[in-house]
Parts: sequence; C-alpha cells; structure tokens
Amino acid sequence: MSTSSSGSSPERCGAFWIAFAAGVTLATITGLAYAELATKFPQAAGASLYVSKAFRSPVLTFFITICSLSAVFAASGSLATGFARYFGSVFGLVPALLVTLVFIAVLTIVNFVGITESVVVNMVMTVVEVSGLVLVLVIGVIVVARGDADFGVLTSFTAEGNPVFAIVAGVALAFFAMTGFENAANVAEETINPSKTFPRALIGAMLTAGLIYVLVAMSAALVVPVDTLAGADAALLEVVRADVLPGPVGVMLTVFAVIAMVAITNTTLVSVVTQSRILYGMARVDVVPAVFAKIHPTRRSPYVALIFSAGVVAALLVLGEVLSRLGPDVDLVGRLATVTVVFLLFIYALVIVSALKLRGEGETKDSYRANTPLLYLGVVGNAVLLSYVVIDDPGSLYWVGGLLALGGALYLAQRVSGNRQRAGAATDGGA
Amino acid sequence: MHVVLATDGSRPSLVAARQFMSFADVAKVDEVSVVAVVSPLATVPFANELGGDRKDHPRGLSFREEAHAATDVVMAEVLAWGVTQVHRRVLSGSPAAEIVRLAKESRADLIVLASGSGGLSDTILLGSTAQRVQHSAPCPVLVSRPKH
Repeated sequence: MSTSSSGSSPERCGAFWIAFAAGVTLATITGLAYAELATKFPQAAGASLYVSKAFRSPVLTFFITICSLSAVFAASGSLATGFARYFGSVFGLVPALLVTLVFIAVLTIVNFVGITESVVVNMVMTVVEVSGLVLVLVIGVIVVARGDADFGVLTSFTAEGNPVFAIVAGVALAFFAMTGFENAANVAEETINPSKTFPRALIGAMLTAGLIYVLVAMSAALVVPVDTLAGADAALLEVVRADVLPGPVGVMLTVFAVIAMVAITNTTLVSVVTQSRILYGMARVDVVPAVFAKIHPTRRSPYVALIFSAGVVAALLVLGEVLSRLGPDVDLVGRLATVTVVFLLFIYALVIVSALKLRGEGETKDSYRANTPLLYLGVVGNAVLLSYVVIDDPGSLYWVGGLLALGGALYLAQRVSGNRQRAGAATDGGA
Repeated sequence: MHVVLATDGSRPSLVAARQFMSFADVAKVDEVSVVAVVSPLATVPFANELGGDRKDHPRGLSFREEAHAATDVVMAEVLAWGVTQVHRRVLSGSPAAEIVRLAKESRADLIVLASGSGGLSDTILLGSTAQRVQHSAPCPVLVSRPKH
C-alpha cells in the first residue's frame, strides 16, 4: 500500500517518484528470480522451499520461514494502523488502538468463515482499490490541464542530507507496496503451462502496478505542496483535500477514505491468510507444534493458527501504543513497514542467490531463465537497501529481534513437545 | 453407472463414500471418479486428515500432494470394494463448481459427498458445498450427514 506516509525523508522532495520507480525496478528483478524458480519447481513454491532446495540446510530453511512469517505479522500491523488513520479521518473520536484491534479481529473471523475464497468479493475489492488510484490520477490530470502544475517539483531534491539516501529510503517504501511474490508463487502449482504463463503474468502485473504507483506519486507531488504531503497522516487524502474535483470536499474526502479503507482491508486479508497458512504449513512438516495444524471440523480453517496470528499482531499494536505513550512518538505504520521491509529484503536477496545457485538443476528446454547480470544487480541492490534501511532506523532491529525470538520459542516448543511425543510413541511399541 | 465421489480430506467425506458402498450394488457401478478440489484462495487450500501421506514431505508441504494423498485413501477402499475402473481427479478452484463441472463433463450418474454442519454462517452467507452442488448438479446427489 502506498496510501500511507511514513514521514521519513523521501517525501520531503518532489522527486520521490524516482524513488518509487527505482523500488519498482528492484522489485521486478526479484520477481524475475521468483518467476524462474516457480517455473522450474512449480510444486515447491515459496521462498523457504527455494532456499531449502538451494542450500539444503534445515536451520537456514527454518530461519527464512520465520522471516517470512515475521514479515507478514509486521505488515498486518502496519496495515491495520494505516486503516485506523483513514477510519479516524471519517469517524474521529474512536481510539486508534481500538480500531486496529477490532479490525484484526474481524478479518480473522472473516478468514475463519472462509469468505476469502469468493472470487467475486476479491474482484469487487480490487475494482474499488483501483478506482481510488484513478481518482488521484484524475486530480493530477486536471491540475496539469489547468496549467497549475509546476513540473520542476518532479526533479527537485530538497531533502536534507544526501539525495541518494533519500531515494533509497523511498525505494524501501515502494518495496512494501510490491510484496505479492509469495502469494503468486503459491498458486504456481495451480497454473496451466506455468513456464510460459507464470513469468508473463508476474512481470506484467508488477510493471502495471509499478507504473500506477509511479504515476500516483507524481500526481500527488504535482497537486499538493510536498511539505504538506510529508507531514500528513494519510498522504493521499491531502490530494483530495486540494479541492480540484467538482462536488463538496467533505463528501469527496469521505468517499476517498472509504476507498482507501477497502483497499487496505483487501491487502490485510491476504496477509492474514498468508500468516496462518505459513504457520499451518510449518506445523504439518513438524517444525512448530502440531497444534497449529488443527483444522476446524466444519469450517475447514486452521483456527489455532488464525487465533495465534491475530494475537501476535494485536501484541505488536498494543506494544506500539505503549511505547509511544512512554517515550518519543513512534510512527507505528512506518516502523512496522520498515520491519517488514527488513525481513523482505533479506528474503529476496536470498531467493535471488538461490536462483543463481540452482542454475543447471531442474531445467527443461522451455523453462524460463532470468537475465544473469540483472540477478547479480538484484542481490547487490537488495543488500544495499537492507543496510540503508537498518542504518536509517536502527530502532526497527528491536522489533526484528523480538519477532525472530518468537519464532525461536515456537521451535523450542516443538522440540520439547516432539520429544515427549516420540518418547510416548516408543513406549507404545514404536507406533 | 459412473459415480463421482468427492473428498475434502475430512473424515465425514470418507464416511460418505463408505455409506454409499454399504448399500450400493457393486455390480452396477462400472466407473468411479474420486475427486478432490484444491482451493488456492482458501486459508488452507486442502487439509488432508485421512492420512496416506508420506510423513517426511521431501519437497515441503504441497496442497496438491495432500489432495493426492486423500484421494489415495478413498480410492483404495473403492478398489477393495470391487470396482475396477477408478480414476483420480485432483482439481483446482471452487469446490462446488469444480465437482459439478466434472459431473457434467464425465456424464456422471451420481455424485456422493458429505455435508458440513450447515451452521448459521453456511446458510446465510455462502451455502455449503453440498448445498451448491445439489442446486446445480446434472445428476442425482447423495449427501451424507453425520448421524446423531
């Protein structure tokens, strides 16, 4: 989601659309590695399985799975906080923490019931989502047509400090917006003729989404003074507030906030599905306690995994609230987005390395092969970005450490309970 | 006759198949298709609780392999019952739509499946898979419900 501003430096200069373009490019290179791996191993989808194939190290495989899981936890938290900001812009008064907690609880129930399977609901939500972005673009076009646009703003770097750093920070933000590889790889198994269709669909979707993001970023920079944009809680609302469209601003603001809430809801639904699916998968292959693989008898949902995930996200949100009461104000959307990006950059770098390492294995004459120099560029790009993100916001490392510790605790719980089970089985005669 | 046996990997779906076999005349059944549908968009696309899977998961958890394992269990029982033509169909998509489509394409004479609980959410929001299959099936449908 690009609908929230993190308040870090890149938004303070109009050229932040360049940062978005760079982020989209780097994400697309990572997408190429995913496309190559997914066509070579359609049955083994997802980062942890590629890494397991390439390195054959159970420890590394477990670590990367915990990283994926943590990334989604942090993303859900960030999205929920973003939702609360738009919610607050319409309804006010309700405490943000309450909104985020109820939001996560409702989405968990929705997943338990299983409405996410409805293709119609997915389509309706996507249409609403795109309509919001089109609205911003239309506003941009109107401003340009009136001759009010100052194109100089698009190439101005007014950020304090190094403009390169400013761009890199924006790249990280853009990355957060382009994180669907795992989900795409998950359905590779279900694709007809994946070696042809899959790379085309993945790259096509990424370039389209990337283009829209860059255009939206440019449009926002043209319509709203960049300082206002950077200071805003919900940046895209400022574009609507500029009162370019016909009709009362108040109504348009509400309409746009609702669109943004639908968009965020859709994205969060996917991450709630993903986190419980990862937990379920780990439990099925015996790396976390088997209780996470429990399926509700009639709803066919992994209810323990769903409840646990909701609990972790709620804990992140409460912790964020407590910390910002105690000390300096923490921008929770930005902080959790950074945590997500730290995990993702690490995972993506490792996936590209895996793609290079797995060259010559499982290839058929029509399997897709990504451009090798581009892949090397991708590894370097991800690594540079990772170190920058950590230098820019060292505080995020505490959150990263905390989530990893949670993964370690799950692993230990499995070791202890697994040993007990094995001991029990031995006394029952080895059954 | 050609019978479609649907399994979602649950115990009740195996019970449904057994119930059908308990009263049907095996001599009149010349063909059985055991179908399992993987739903990529569901939280868990396919949950197999029937066993029959390789515990070591050499390539990690694959929902398609899970569906394969569940059909293995049902197919073994149908073969033991005495039907010689037993096919496996592991499909992908919305369970009800895929079961109905398979029945149409293979000119099935009967669909056998288990019903979920039919709780409040089922009735109001979605309708269970069994309900939706009954609604648009091209042939008779045998719905097995747990006996209380």
